[in-house]
Amino acid sequence: MTEFPPRVDPHFDIEEYDPEADLMALNMGPQHPSTHGVMRIKLFLDGETIVKAVPYPGYLHRGVEKLCEKLTYVQITPIFDKHDYVAPMTNEQAINLAFEKLLGLEVPLRARVLRTILAELQRIASHLLWLGTFTLDIGGTIGGGASMMMYTFREREMILDLFEALTGCRFHYNTHCPGGNRHDVPEGWETVVKAVLDAIEPRFDEYEALCDNDIFLVRTEGIGVLPPDLALELGQTGPVLRASGVDHDLRRDAPYHAYDLVDVRVAVDDGCDSLARYKVRVAEMRESVRLVRLLLPMLPQGPIVGSKPIKSLIQFKAAAGQVYVGMETPRGELGTYLIGGGDQRGAAPYRCKIRPPSLHAMAALPYLLPGHFLSDVVTVLGSLDPIMGEVDR
Amino acid sequence: MNPIVHALVIGVPLLTFLMGGAALATWFERRFSGKMQTRWGPTVVGPAGLLQPVADALKMMQKEDIVPRAADRTLFNLAPLFPPFLVIASAAVIPFAATIDADGAVKATGVVADLDIGILWVMALAGLMVFPIWVAGWAANNKYTMLSGMRMVAQGISYEIPMVLCALVPVIFAGSLSLSDIVAYQAVHGWNALSLSPSAIVGAVAALLFFLASLAEANRIPFDIPEAESELIGGVMVEYTGIKFGIFMLAEYLHTIVASALTAVLFFGGPLGPGPAVLGLGWMLGKTLVLFVLIYWIRWSLYRFRSDQLMDLCWRILVPLSLVLVMLSALLVAGGFA
Amino acid sequence: MSVYEDLQARFDLPEVPPEGEPALVDVSRHVELAGALKDAGFTMYVTVCASHFPSVTPKVKKGQEPLPPTVEAWEVATVLRRPGPNSEAFAWRVRVERPVVPTLYELFAGADWQEREQYDLVGVIFENHPDLRRLMMPEDWDGHPLRKDYAIDTRVAPWR
Repeated sequence: MTEFPPRVDPHFDIEEYDPEADLMALNMGPQHPSTHGVMRIKLFLDGETIVKAVPYPGYLHRGVEKLCEKLTYVQITPIFDKHDYVAPMTNEQAINLAFEKLLGLEVPLRARVLRTILAELQRIASHLLWLGTFTLDIGGTIGGGASMMMYTFREREMILDLFEALTGCRFHYNTHCPGGNRHDVPEGWETVVKAVLDAIEPRFDEYEALCDNDIFLVRTEGIGVLPPDLALELGQTGPVLRASGVDHDLRRDAPYHAYDLVDVRVAVDDGCDSLARYKVRVAEMRESVRLVRLLLPMLPQGPIVGSKPIKSLIQFKAAAGQVYVGMETPRGELGTYLIGGGDQRGAAPYRCKIRPPSLHAMAALPYLLPGHFLSDVVTVLGSLDPIMGEVDR
Repeated sequence: MNPIVHALVIGVPLLTFLMGGAALATWFERRFSGKMQTRWGPTVVGPAGLLQPVADALKMMQKEDIVPRAADRTLFNLAPLFPPFLVIASAAVIPFAATIDADGAVKATGVVADLDIGILWVMALAGLMVFPIWVAGWAANNKYTMLSGMRMVAQGISYEIPMVLCALVPVIFAGSLSLSDIVAYQAVHGWNALSLSPSAIVGAVAALLFFLASLAEANRIPFDIPEAESELIGGVMVEYTGIKFGIFMLAEYLHTIVASALTAVLFFGGPLGPGPAVLGLGWMLGKTLVLFVLIYWIRWSLYRFRSDQLMDLCWRILVPLSLVLVMLSALLVAGGFA
Repeated sequence: MSVYEDLQARFDLPEVPPEGEPALVDVSRHVELAGALKDAGFTMYVTVCASHFPSVTPKVKKGQEPLPPTVEAWEVATVLRRPGPNSEAFAWRVRVERPVVPTLYELFAGADWQEREQYDLVGVIFENHPDLRRLMMPEDWDGHPLRKDYAIDTRVAPWR
């Protein structure tokens, strides 16, 4: 077991720091090329070393939770596309899983397998975008990082084309609804998926070759070390948690969709640093390719929506009750704490609390940044893979 | 020839070459990186997008010239003037062509001012380069530009040492500080970095280190810490708009060209090469172009170092190694191997 | 649900886990329950969800006696998870008539931001929280948007 540095107190008073030191307060953001959206980190610098970091999220707060209380269950799905705009597919699935549990709807097997395939494809697309932007942070927009980003976007485009063929949209799909899916698989889609996977898989080797150079290693190794106990306490999930050596993946540990039909091999790394998070994500992309290959032949014939037609859901009187449903999106556990409206509220949920994995990842910043250099801020931030749309909602 | 006429005859084409080359370099870089990244780059303006630099320059001149309220106005406006001036001045001592004397000796020509202390002049100007950047970073009164300026000073001063030490290797071989003499020496003894003589090993390592150090001096990836747009947004250029920003960019491209030319002269024979001496200019430009492409190839494929790692590399590896190279070259010369 | 059985007697939980919603726990046992769960392996802090139940007058049929209005209340539901194979989530809620609930920050560092968000949006004050500032809304925002008496079309001064 490696030795971890003592935990930083994120609330320590900056006045108590060495009075001799000439501290500089530097506001990184809200407009900054590397904050992955609009967020502000207030950094207290001693030279170029960070003494204290105070993140200020909320610049993209759109009041989605309030909106959900005014909309019907069917109307909420497209809003969820816009949280994590890098992985809209899994976002839709997360909210619909909660609805199905609250409303007690059965999802037919075909829809479940299709959702699993879509989730895994979305995971590849999301991690590809992450890899591109992460190397962009390390390598610069005018440099090696930009080349890498172009390559990853080339492959991501293929997956977006697949989604477009299925749903007609490249990004905000609105293809899930409580009880099933809206769009059935077009003819010949499976063959195209297979071809895309065959094209993408060898490219992972190329990415690894591009990243396996000394500069990448010295920039990521030992940067932003997140011990497993702190990761759990902070509620880290997904690749960030697995890169801290915790063997936890909801796809295997609490299967939903059709994950019980396949054997998910969970990628875990003990490194706890930015390099480990990179390794875990690349391994996950390979695993996703394998899962999609396994699942494609399993796609059974049958309906893709449950017995209740979609239209009647608008008038559906939701049962009162409270459920929490979590789902493994590319960024981690996207949970929904849902309080049903009951009779008096019609078709809208009474309260819909979203648990975004990115917000928890951002909460780790005050612990990870102190002691590092200014240049490491972008490495740590990039390796946590936050999506501001999801952090702020 | 009257020295003023001489300077004009050589200097005007040189200036044209440098300015045109810098403009062409922006076009070339964008096309080159486009080819590397499975995209096109500029194609619309002019044939194959060749007029894109003109369009860019026109656009930059039309942009609003903003001076931040808190900035030191005089220094802020003055700072962009110096980098291109310094770079062009340092190009004045670089020989671009060669002639053969009546007695068969190769003589480097095509140099605006063939100073006896040519290499010293280049190094002195490279050292001065730190000041306008630091002044720009300071005068803009922005924390990011100030950090960038401080990084620039640290990096510029540190990398000057291995650069000067490596430049000493050909100086010791040739026994002269004049770049023409260094070329003349290479005409007799073979290129400093590429020949069959034992000194070429020392020369090759020195060439590599010199090239790395001049990458750092020119703020190119993997050493572009002062620019570091992922954390410092754009370095000292953050607050500059319009043509002032353009001048900084121009200086960067000029710097890259001059650094390539200097490496070619010091280590790769400059205007020397097979064939008649008339081809000297072609050889010189060809070698410069190869090194120039190499710089951009590196730029578009590598990631960036962190500032402390950059200093580590300089003080722990480059400086000791270049000191060893200087001693080795002195021993070689004393032993009669070079 | 073995964990539930273990905790059932200790924390006066219902005999059978209530169907469809987490068990109610008295607010005085809130921190204690979280600590017990953490010791039982529920080390992952998943989420906290505060919700507002305003005072409403129940509708009655014509001719019936009017019922008294309900008491305004806040509920804070906390979810913890046991990581690893056969992962399991445990949720419980506390119901309070004053929006004051003890913080879980001492046990779970992740409660820091989550409780700040709930304070910001619902207005539940987490006692002994080290840094209870607004997280999402601007610092000078009036009111707590997710309260039921905060209308969705409330006109607000545009944010600077």
